[in-house]
Amino acid sequence: MSAAAQIALQNAINGLLIGGTYATVAVGFSLVWGILNVINIAHGALVMLGAYVTYWLFTLYHIDPLLSLPLTGALLFALGYPLQRIVINQVVRASFFITFLLTFGLELLITNLALAAWTADIRSVTTSYSGWSVALGPIALPVVRIVSLLIALLTAAALQLVMTRTRLGGAIRATASDQEAARLMGIPIAHVYALTFAIAAATAGIAGSLISLSFPIFPAMGAGYTLIAFVTCVLGGLGSVPGALLGGLLLGLLQTYAASWLGPNFDNIIAFSVLILVLLVRPAGLLGRAQRFRG
Amino acid sequence: MPLLEGRGLTKLFGRLVAVDHVDLAIEHGEIVGLIGPNGAGKTTLVNLITGMEAATDGRLTFDGHPLIGLAPPAIVRLGLARTFQIAQPLRNMTVRQNVAVPALFRAGHVAGVGAALREADEVLASVGLGPKRDFPARALTTPDLRRLELAKALALRPRLMLLDEVMAGLTPTEVDAEMAMLRQVNARGIAIMVIEHVLRAVMGLSHRVVVLHHGRKIAEGTPAHVTADPEVIRAYLGTTARASP
Amino acid sequence: MPRVTARGLGGPAGAILAAAALAAALLLPSVAGTYYIRVVTGIFMFGMLASGWNIVGGYTGYPDFGAAAFIGIGAYTTGILMSRVHLPFAAALPAGGILSIAAAVAMGSVLLRLRGHYFAVATLGFMIVLQQLASNLDVTGGGSGMNLPPVRSFTTFYYWMLAGLVVAVAVGFVLPRSRVGYAIAAIRENQDAAQVLGISPLPYKVLAYATSAFFFGIGGGIYAYWFTFIDPPTVFNIDFTIQAVVMTIFGGPGTAFGPLAGAVILKSLDVVLTNISIFLHNVFFGALVCLLVIFAPRGLAEIFQARGGLIEAIRTEVRENRI
Repeated sequence: MSAAAQIALQNAINGLLIGGTYATVAVGFSLVWGILNVINIAHGALVMLGAYVTYWLFTLYHIDPLLSLPLTGALLFALGYPLQRIVINQVVRASFFITFLLTFGLELLITNLALAAWTADIRSVTTSYSGWSVALGPIALPVVRIVSLLIALLTAAALQLVMTRTRLGGAIRATASDQEAARLMGIPIAHVYALTFAIAAATAGIAGSLISLSFPIFPAMGAGYTLIAFVTCVLGGLGSVPGALLGGLLLGLLQTYAASWLGPNFDNIIAFSVLILVLLVRPAGLLGRAQRFRG
Repeated sequence: MPLLEGRGLTKLFGRLVAVDHVDLAIEHGEIVGLIGPNGAGKTTLVNLITGMEAATDGRLTFDGHPLIGLAPPAIVRLGLARTFQIAQPLRNMTVRQNVAVPALFRAGHVAGVGAALREADEVLASVGLGPKRDFPARALTTPDLRRLELAKALALRPRLMLLDEVMAGLTPTEVDAEMAMLRQVNARGIAIMVIEHVLRAVMGLSHRVVVLHHGRKIAEGTPAHVTADPEVIRAYLGTTARASP
Repeated sequence: MPRVTARGLGGPAGAILAAAALAAALLLPSVAGTYYIRVVTGIFMFGMLASGWNIVGGYTGYPDFGAAAFIGIGAYTTGILMSRVHLPFAAALPAGGILSIAAAVAMGSVLLRLRGHYFAVATLGFMIVLQQLASNLDVTGGGSGMNLPPVRSFTTFYYWMLAGLVVAVAVGFVLPRSRVGYAIAAIRENQDAAQVLGISPLPYKVLAYATSAFFFGIGGGIYAYWFTFIDPPTVFNIDFTIQAVVMTIFGGPGTAFGPLAGAVILKSLDVVLTNISIFLHNVFFGALVCLLVIFAPRGLAEIFQARGGLIEAIRTEVRENRI
């Protein structure tokens, strides 16, 4: 294989691998936006919390991140439920600006509490297998990234199953379609919303766990992931698990290729430019429902 | 030359034909009624004329100016006003301010906010909303909101007004009052197209009536002519009924 | 959401109060110590930012969450012109404002076609991108930042900020009563209805966005000279935007003086809290935002003007917005 083809292939693989993590970051955000019509600016902060939970479980109790992953998800679930039920539900019917601002406030709260508690020092999780990679011919595949992708796919599949095959999923989708009708059918809206958010928080926590294996951990890390989640949703469409997956993989590929041409410091510029382009050309995203968003 | 002339106007939503090759002409100073069963495409046709939907096909001119491809504000500034089926007030502004806006932004607009507010007062008095001019628009009742829509349209100094179901939900007395008001407006030289289900009003007001069904024009003529048209009767009532006088 | 009838303090009483406040502000530096001058300068800055933000966010209904992008543009323009081209501050500062306007017109023509969520996050993305750009370019000094020439007299910044504030509040007062202001209000209330009333929305939205950007640009330029050192994360910082937004909401987004009132109250509170604990003042802000948004989304000004008293007004708000 020629050197150029090798680089291209390595980029593609890297892009897909990181894209899986992006998808996990985005899928909860997409759910909350599509179903509750809430743009959760604090989503990245939840990812950050997931990363820190993983870090502390690893550093204090030596629990391997991949083992603690379900626990992280559960803890974030337990945080997400009351957060929605008690706080966010108060403004769910207001204009998006209000909910936006509320989640902004939550983001400030969470991030600065983390800063006060754990300082701005950068942490990382280094396990015995952190540096391993598998060789596929001339291509190197970091084990950690492969596992992340697998878990991302698993999480997406599980979520899709819940949404399409369970009663809870049906209730969630009914509520999203028509809140009044759902309420008239006896669906407890406040509870369904809280569960939806809790599930989203759990996926954010899982994403945080995966991220902690490969990336630095610090309190302000959330904002970048919120932007990634946003761009992924715009690419793949709202409220759709397959959309989040597709969007995440696409974004991962785009960023990796761009980084190899322009250098690693331009990842946000790429994300934003992609965002603008897609918003102007196809606001519904690649798989999403069409909504009137043009001014 | 007619004031408004449309030929072959067509609008497709995917495979749904909402407006099917409709020819339409409105002369200066005319009152034209546009009727048809629900879903006939009346509001879509109005949306095409006012530029809120892009026509899939067809030609449209207003006073000689081609309208296809123009954005709604440009069409409005040519002298074409419309009201909405569901009133669209500027909710948190006062009634006066609502009417001042079109006075400020039509072609040949007033010089300043003060002049616009004064003109708004005149228009509001002419439609009977004078006493409520300082109310926020969101505090108005539905009939008053309709009046406000009419006032806003009048403040545009249009040559053609497209009124979408202004009579809906009014009592017979209110319908009479509304008809009188519209005749007054027409007497000033403003052409009007009324889209209506209240047939008494349409037939009483219109010089000419156009009937749409499934997006197609199925009849056109004087009110008497149209009410006797068997195809119109079939469209409204089904095949076995007859129109009552 | 805000009303066009920008009710502030009524008539002559209000004018006298404003004049008195201005006179006090002009005289303060001759009687107060450096610490207080600094604090009040900060209040002026945020008063200007909040008033500016209100034009695009409150009056027009397009919440610009990336407004800090223009702080960065103003700061770096002023910095580059002063330290590399050796222009005096009085020339570099307006250049920063003008460049902010130009950037706003360019970005706004694109972004203001988007509505709602998309606009807000797209503007945020714009700020993040500029931050990354500034970190990677040589002319801005890259990630290490840049220095500006120092100044001996501190009251320079006080008066510059005061001037900017007065202009911003004046614009906020005059705009809703003008023809442009009526277009902007109509666009905010119902953009489709505004179109059929003869208003082409985009030019007015761009005007509002550019005006807001100007004040953020000026604020950034003065800030840069004041603090003498700037780097990308400091100036392209969402904190500026959040504070401006919260102050506007707190004071009342539909009024000319509301944002300033919000700035005065919240900045003073912030100073008090920072003296208690440096870490917790942001936590306080976050909690305050949450509480405000839940209990007083239309701003305290509207609440106080509502009938039926404060508690009832809050209860109505909450009932309308919750599940």
